[in-house]
Amino acid sequence: MSMDISPLLKMLVFPGGLTLIALGLLYEYIDRKLVARFQNRVGPRVLQPLADTIKLLAKEEVIPAGVIPLFFVSLPIIAMAGALTAGLYIPLAGFAPSFSLPGDLIITVFLLGLLTICIGLAGANTADRFSLLGATRTLTQLFSYEAPFLLALLCPAILADSWQISIVDTSVTGHVWLALPLFIGFFVAVIGLMGKLELAPFDAPEAESEIVAGALTEYSGRGLALFRLGKDVELVIGITLVSAFYLGGLSNPLEFLLKTLGLLVVVAALQALFARLRIDQVVGLWWRIGALLALLQLLIVVILKGVIL
Amino acid sequence: MTGPHVEKFIVPIGPQHPALKEPAHFEFTVDGETVTSASVRFGYVHRGLEKGAENRNWAQALYLLERVCGICSHAHSTVYSLGVERLAGVTAPPRAQAIRQILLELERIHSHMLWVGVAAHEAGFDTLFMYSWRDRETVMDILESFTGNRVNYSANVLGGVKYDLGPAQADSILSGLDYLEKRLHYYMKVVNNDESFLGRTRGVGTMTTEEAENLGAIGPVVRASGVSRDLRVDAPYLLYADFPINVITATAGDLQARFVVRIQELFESTRNIRALVEHLPEGELAVRFPRKVRAGETVSRIEAPRGGLFYFIKSDGGENPFRVKVRTPSLRNFMSVIVGAVGHQLADIPMILSGIDPCFSCNDRTVIVRREGRDGSAAPSESDSRKDSSS
Repeated sequence: MSMDISPLLKMLVFPGGLTLIALGLLYEYIDRKLVARFQNRVGPRVLQPLADTIKLLAKEEVIPAGVIPLFFVSLPIIAMAGALTAGLYIPLAGFAPSFSLPGDLIITVFLLGLLTICIGLAGANTADRFSLLGATRTLTQLFSYEAPFLLALLCPAILADSWQISIVDTSVTGHVWLALPLFIGFFVAVIGLMGKLELAPFDAPEAESEIVAGALTEYSGRGLALFRLGKDVELVIGITLVSAFYLGGLSNPLEFLLKTLGLLVVVAALQALFARLRIDQVVGLWWRIGALLALLQLLIVVILKGVIL
Repeated sequence: MTGPHVEKFIVPIGPQHPALKEPAHFEFTVDGETVTSASVRFGYVHRGLEKGAENRNWAQALYLLERVCGICSHAHSTVYSLGVERLAGVTAPPRAQAIRQILLELERIHSHMLWVGVAAHEAGFDTLFMYSWRDRETVMDILESFTGNRVNYSANVLGGVKYDLGPAQADSILSGLDYLEKRLHYYMKVVNNDESFLGRTRGVGTMTTEEAENLGAIGPVVRASGVSRDLRVDAPYLLYADFPINVITATAGDLQARFVVRIQELFESTRNIRALVEHLPEGELAVRFPRKVRAGETVSRIEAPRGGLFYFIKSDGGENPFRVKVRTPSLRNFMSVIVGAVGHQLADIPMILSGIDPCFSCNDRTVIVRREGRDGSAAPSESDSRKDSSS
């Protein structure tokens, strides 16, 4: 009996699994280093995120009283699995996605949202008050940015006549960057990505000066390591998606590196620029401005498409 | 939610919490994200400094009391020196007074810039935090080159000061102030114009003039609410009568006004230091101070960076103070936090708390109130015996 090991490789080494995790750690380092330099700090060393992860993985995972242990242990795993699975549908490193099917854009966005939902549930699972507040804020924030973010990603998809990431990616390659004509959509997508990743100034769910570490206050050891890794992976996937859609597609590794790192610089600069928004300000911002802008962009795209094509 | 009653959701902040750099315990009852009531408890860092001062002689107590607060240490040693000198009938020479005043104003710069950073950090604006602390190093370097220490300068002795201000140091102070003023103008621009930061400061923790008066607030907090209250002007000490400062007030009473008031005060400080450095009186640095201080009691007050600092000093004619009572300014501002927190978002609480520039360790004094029981015996109950009103 012969067995094709290529799907296994795809899932465990490239693009899923190890590559995604390594890229995630690298991008986390670049992000932290850039923010630190913008703030006139020294910042971490290259291997710091990896060292943190190894240290956390080696530590005892304390299961606090008052939680449902099954959820407590399994939620980080589900979150991590969701994030890694999402990596299979994106053109990582400029290569065609490992798996592609019509509508995988929705699947990817959902899988990324799964991570946030898991964090929210993990917070709600514990009896800790900071966790509960953090969970409320995490889920509140999820409901505010998710729709505008998805709408912003749909604009290029509508132009490409497909909700399949690989088709959108190839259709925008070689043309003018969509970020220029669809600058509103690009803007919403980048800000939405920052909200999704709970980066400053959208870090109210884990505002340390208010609610310690938010939903993950009670997590230590493996659970925390997995959630952090999941977020790193989400960072890579989110940045890849936005640059594939709005920055003229990703057709080779060099292009991938340049475009995603360029976007990361923008994201890092935005993090250093603003004071943290309160959760009510976040919701207000998204539903009053973000959602309207995204809808407006969508309307423009649909009308233009009807007129021109 | 268990049971028939709706449980109160209390968010405990402290004694260990990332927002607090010092231990204190706050309990905020929240409804969703809105605070409905608040309470505070101190006493975690009671060090017995007042009693310690009674067991030391007059000069030794100076160094002990300098350690009441790590940030306004010179203010504590100055207010104590002034009080004891008054009791003993000794006056420090003018040059010593000028140097004391220079140090007080330098300390105000370092304290207020520290506060700008801390308050920005509580608002999640770490960039401002890092920048202001980087620039604060300028004043720390000045203080270090002047006295040898970044904090706890030990510059005072009873009857004068230890360190003279030479021309080289005067130059380094002046050039340091030039740089600081440039940076302060920039921070002024940030706190007045940065929209995301204004979203966290404007209209937050607002205290009207009337409330500020009723709550007995003090220092920059009350000045930001439109009350002109500053001991440097109301009861001038050292050389403040000859080298006066202008009281900075604002009317809004919110956090943004406190930022503006504190930063503007620093311009007054730099102006004051410049004038003092340029017109430094000649003469001795210290006069002889007696071992024993004649019996009597006095109240000594100065304007520390956080507001009026109050010392009561009593002598029975011996070598040791008979009683030293310390009332630090933060204590008078805590009520404004407790009252002001109600109705605000939980996210604003760290900002409101840091808005008064709290210094918890300075507060902690113990007083034991013995209330006569019904049977006439002194039977302190739990709440009586542990009154942490830090008197």
